[in-house]
Amino acid sequence: MNLYEKILSIYPSLTHEDFNGASGTIRLQNDSDGKGDYIKNWSHPTLKQPTQAELDAVQ
Amino acid sequence: MASINIAGDTSGSISLTVPSVAGTNTVTIPANSGVVMVSGNMPTFRAVSNITQSLTVNVTTKATCYTTVQWDTASCYNSSTNRYTPNVAGYYEVKAGIQYGALSAQPYIYIYKNGSVYTRYNLIAASGYGNPFITGLVYMNGSTDYLEVYLESDAGSGSAGTSGDNNYCYFSAAMIRGA
Repeated sequence: MNLYEKILSIYPSLTHEDFNGASGTIRLQNDSDGKGDYIKNWSHPTLKQPTQAELDAVQ
Repeated sequence: MASINIAGDTSGSISLTVPSVAGTNTVTIPANSGVVMVSGNMPTFRAVSNITQSLTVNVTTKATCYTTVQWDTASCYNSSTNRYTPNVAGYYEVKAGIQYGALSAQPYIYIYKNGSVYTRYNLIAASGYGNPFITGLVYMNGSTDYLEVYLESDAGSGSAGTSGDNNYCYFSAAMIRGA
């Protein structure tokens, strides 16, 4: 399960529009440096950014 | 007439070549100071992609597919990191294009400067293939500033990737004036 899918699992109310590059409030990024996907920016008005522990707990 | 002062290296020579035909040619020097730009000190490069790159939907991902260098006049493009770090300060026209070879509902292409979004373009919707391209005019300091291309495919699910068609997949820049 990738980062995007884990976040959707934690917050089922989110849709891909929330990650939209133009209008979304959540930005996921991968710098192709071998470190994988990460949360570049989280400015959702009501949902708080999940912690690493919360993400790790998602199977 | 005003004097001409030549300063600098005490060795070597400066050659001015004139046309080998009769006639009068005039070169007017503007009332400004600056570095004369000639092809030798105006870097340019172009790289294309012959390989595919897989992308995770909804993740802005650095492009690593521009690995085939067509020219790089000042050896400023790193085809391993897909990063352009020009060594002359000035203003550069940068262009990039990509073709998404797999499903991409809303394909994006970005130019990043120093790790941050500089400019962005996206197609509203595409199915199967999408060919976004982008241009921008950017100031580069000639030492630490660098450019990269990032890609993104906004979709509800599925997979995305680039096609590796070098007619659509290119990354280039050319200096157009000095600092």
